[in-house]
Order: sequence, then structure tokens, then C-alpha cells
Amino acid sequence: MAGKDFAERSIRGALTFFREAIFADETAGLPGVLQSLDPRVKIVMVLLGLLLVLFTRSLAVLGVLYLLSVLLAAVSRIKLGSFLKRTWIFIPLFSLLIAIPAMFSFVSPGESILSAGAFHITRQGVMSAGFFVGRVLASVSLVVLLSMTTRHFDLLKALRCFGIPHLFVMVLGMCYRYLYLFVEMVENTHRAIKSRVGSRIHYRKGQRVVAWNIAHLWMRSYAMNEQVYHAMVSRGFRGEPVALDRFRTRPRDWCWLLAAVAVMLLLGYVEHRTRA
Amino acid sequence: MKPLGITGGPLFECRDVHYAYQGRIPALRGIDMTLSRGERIAFLGANGSGKSTLLSLLDGLIFPDMGTILYAGRVLTEAAFLDEAFTLEFRKNVGLVFQNPDVQLFCPTVREDIAFGPLQLGMDETTVKTRLEALVETFGISPLLDRSPHQLSVGEKRKVAFATVLAIDPHVLLLDEPTAGLDPLTSTHLIEMLATAAGTGKTIVTATHDLHILEDIADKVYVFGQDRRMAACGTPAEILADTALLQANNLIHRHSHHARDHRLMRTPQV
Ligand SMILES: Nc1ncnc2c1ncn2[C@@H]1O[C@H](COP(=O)(O)OP(=O)(O)OP(=O)(O)O)[C@@H](O)[C@H]1O
Ligand SMILES: [Mg+2]
Repeated sequence: MAGKDFAERSIRGALTFFREAIFADETAGLPGVLQSLDPRVKIVMVLLGLLLVLFTRSLAVLGVLYLLSVLLAAVSRIKLGSFLKRTWIFIPLFSLLIAIPAMFSFVSPGESILSAGAFHITRQGVMSAGFFVGRVLASVSLVVLLSMTTRHFDLLKALRCFGIPHLFVMVLGMCYRYLYLFVEMVENTHRAIKSRVGSRIHYRKGQRVVAWNIAHLWMRSYAMNEQVYHAMVSRGFRGEPVALDRFRTRPRDWCWLLAAVAVMLLLGYVEHRTRA
Repeated sequence: MKPLGITGGPLFECRDVHYAYQGRIPALRGIDMTLSRGERIAFLGANGSGKSTLLSLLDGLIFPDMGTILYAGRVLTEAAFLDEAFTLEFRKNVGLVFQNPDVQLFCPTVREDIAFGPLQLGMDETTVKTRLEALVETFGISPLLDRSPHQLSVGEKRKVAFATVLAIDPHVLLLDEPTAGLDPLTSTHLIEMLATAAGTGKTIVTATHDLHILEDIADKVYVFGQDRRMAACGTPAEILADTALLQANNLIHRHSHHARDHRLMRTPQV
């Protein structure tokens, strides 16, 4: 019984997390600093940050970038707790898979600083594990920051300015919109099943109901697909969508962009100097 | 600009129209019907009687397996819609509000959804924005503009779906159960808007099984039978008075006094 409850709770937890992580747009509507910037400028800023994360060979630079992103989250009125939760959630997984093995001599040969039998932890290994975690943390923070301060559809629309075809962006947007509908359908059907058969449903039967439901969901999504296409055609869609463009860059956007470039250059310069 | 007005004949004409889904689930078996400019028509029928199917056919989204549908004297076929000029003309003049608003609202925000039709049909951005503002005003939906359609209630979705079609300002409005799921006030509001639209000469076709709104939305009623043919056609008063017809087509229950009550309610006190 406990096992089943656990499964149910994890499914529900997963759905909630999914919904929160992917669909939450609330923080994007807050009157914060980053929220008020043009999405295109934000994308460029984040891309610059990511480039630096990728190319830097200094842990200090990674640290500064991470601190900057936390600072920006704070001035954008994002609760520190929810920001940290979203960024640190990936760390254990990556550490386990990559960073921890990287510390050992069989992955990173070098000067041993700790040994247990045949296993040696090397200094080079610790460094590369540190870099790895630092890079993941800094880049995830930047991306999470972008996604928490921008309406997701604006983000998609901004992609169009970088040469991504409009049709593609529109399809992404629709996927996104209908994905939500299906998450909701899954939840509703789950609730409907429970209300009809009660929670003490036999395991086997439960499996069958779930299988049937998935099949049903597919059929529904197929029928819906056709109907949505009809709805588009009915309003004049002829294969090449036209959209309202309402992005405006204002002087402050340019200021932020310049500031971002300056910070990146400064960090790059300082790193170069200390190395030389 | 509007060749519809010039041609004297009917706006839509259905001749022995047959349609089956996937070629084997029959939905319509021989529909004959004419629709003139400025008329207000209701399609009355029980669930599954083919109302939505006929609306899709009239909107040129699907095409008859047998028989023909003419629009302003031109046969609606897949080939006819290859003609860009005709397609543009047709889509500007005929608008369909779908039964399921979730299908109709496919854009990420309400604002984009309302602007979608006019933009596809080549309207310039300033006109689109003016229309958007006007519609937002009439429907009182300004708080919803930047929300995603999935965050709306059923009634709000229906309102927005209606606005997305009105944004195109078509001459023919095809409405599939527009009042389903609306509270009485909103429903009355919608019916008033339809009356205003009809006053400006729009042709309005409404599919419904709601007997209460029949007299308010239509001058002529087509009753869809369970045999997937037209069972009757008449004025709302004639149809509502024909209890046997309504019973036979599952529109009222044998023991209900629905229709009679309805008549009593509507008859002016003398
Ligand atoms: N996509 C589809 N695939 C297969 N059959 C369909 C499809 N859509 C409708 N049908 C069938 O076609 C018939 C007519 O359906 P239609 O949706 O036109 O009825 P309706 O009068 O609009 O019903 P309702 O009042 O429930 O909306 C029904 O028997 C239905 O089962
Ligand atoms: Mg229907």
C-alpha cells in the first residue's frame, strides 16, 4: 500500500514540478529589473555569459558570474529560495555522473592527494571536478534567470530575431501551449479515475486503466491536432504565419547590454593578466 | 470589393450534401439548404446529429463526399481554395467560432490570438491594434490580454474565441454552440451582441440545442434529425410549437414541459 502511495505521490510531484518549472510565468510578470528589459537583449547577455563560462579557465571568474546571476535574481524580485532550488536541482545528478568520477586517477591522472587502496584522488581531478560543477552551476543559473524573468512566449518570439524561422517558433509555441493542456488532461483523468473507482483500485486493473488512458490521450491529441489546424485555416492561415511584433529596445536596454559586454571584457582581461 | 452583395442569388447553397468521417462514420446524409445574405439561421439538433460537421463544410474546412456546396455561386472544393484570391476573399467574409474554444485558441497569449486572423489576412498592424482595442472594450477582456488561453475559465475562453473571429469582421458568422458554458448574464450579453451584428447586415448561423435562445438568434430554424438528414425547417415559433417533432429528435424529453413552459414564458400577456 505504502509503495503505491509513494508512486502516486511521485507522479503527482513530477507533474507539479513540471508545471512549475516549465509553465510558471508569474515571476516574469513582476516589476523587476530584468523583467523590464527587451528579451532580445537578455538573450544576448545570457549568451555572452555562457560563452565566458565555456571559455574561462579560472574558478574565480565562474564564481563572479555565479554571484552576478544571484545578484540579478535579487534585483529582479525573485525569491532567493526558489532561484537556488531551481539551479541546484541539477547539481547532484551531474556530480554523481561526471564530477565525482572525474576526481579519481583513472579519469584524471596526476598528483595524488588522497588514496584508498587502488583509488587515488588527484589534484587535477579535484580541479576538473570543481570546474565542472562551477560551469554547470553558473550556466544553469544564467539560463534559469533568463527563463524566470521572461514570458516564455516572448523568449520564443525573440528567437525569431536570431534568424530562426517564424513557423518553427510558432510550432514551438503551440507545442508549449498544448503540452500544458495535456498535463491538465492527465491530471483530470487521473482524478476522474480515482473518483470513479476509489483509491483502492487493484494494481493490475490500475495498469490497464492507465494504458487505456494513454491510448486515449494519443487519439485525442491526434484529433485535436487536426481541429487546431482547421481553426488556423479558418482564420486565414496559409502556411506562412504573420505575427505582431511588439519588442522595443529603449536606451536602457542598450545600457544594460553595454554593461554586460564591459563586465565580460573586464573578467576576461583580469583572467588574462593574472595568468600572464 | 464585396462581390457577394452584387450576386443576387443565395449566399450559401447545399445540394444533397453527404459527409462521412474517415469515409465510414456517416455524419450527414443528404442535406439541402439555402442561406441568403443577412439571414439569421439556427441549426437545431441533438448531440451527434451533424451540426458541427455542416458548419465545417460551410467554412470550407472539409468537403462533401457527395453533393455540392456553393458560396456566392462558386462551388467549394479543395481546388477552389488553391486560388489565393478566392481563399483570401472567403476567409475574410466567413468566420467560424468553434465548439471547443481550446481548439480555437492556439496562440500563447490572448492578444496574439485575437490579432492572428486579421494579420494572416493581410491587415496592417495599426488597424489590427485599433480592432483589438475595440474588441477588448466590448468584451471587457483587458485583464486577460497577456494571459495564456490555458489560464482562462471556460466562459472566458468562449468570449475570447468569439472575439478572435469578430476581429476579422466577417460578413458571415458561423457559431457552434456559442452559449454553452456561459452564465446567464454573459449569455444574454452575447445574444445582444449577435443582435447588433445582425442589425449591421451580418449573416449569422448558430448551431445549438438550447431551445431558450432560439427566438433570439434566428429567423429560420433547421432541425437535424437522428437519421442525419434535415427533419424540418421553419420559423422558431413553428418549431417550438411542434412538440412531437422536438420529441422525435431528442430535443425535449417526453415528460418534460420544457417547450410549453417556454412558449408561456415568451407569450406577451394580453
Ligand atoms: N473527427 C471525427 N471523427 C469521426 N467521427 C466524427 C468526428 N467528428 C464527428 N464525428 C461523428 O459525426 C457525427 C456528427 O458529429 P457532429 O460533431 O457534427 O455532431 P453535432 O451535432 O455537432 O453534435 P454536438 O451537439 O454533440 O456537438 C457524430 O456521429 C460523430 O460521432
Ligand atoms: Mg457540435
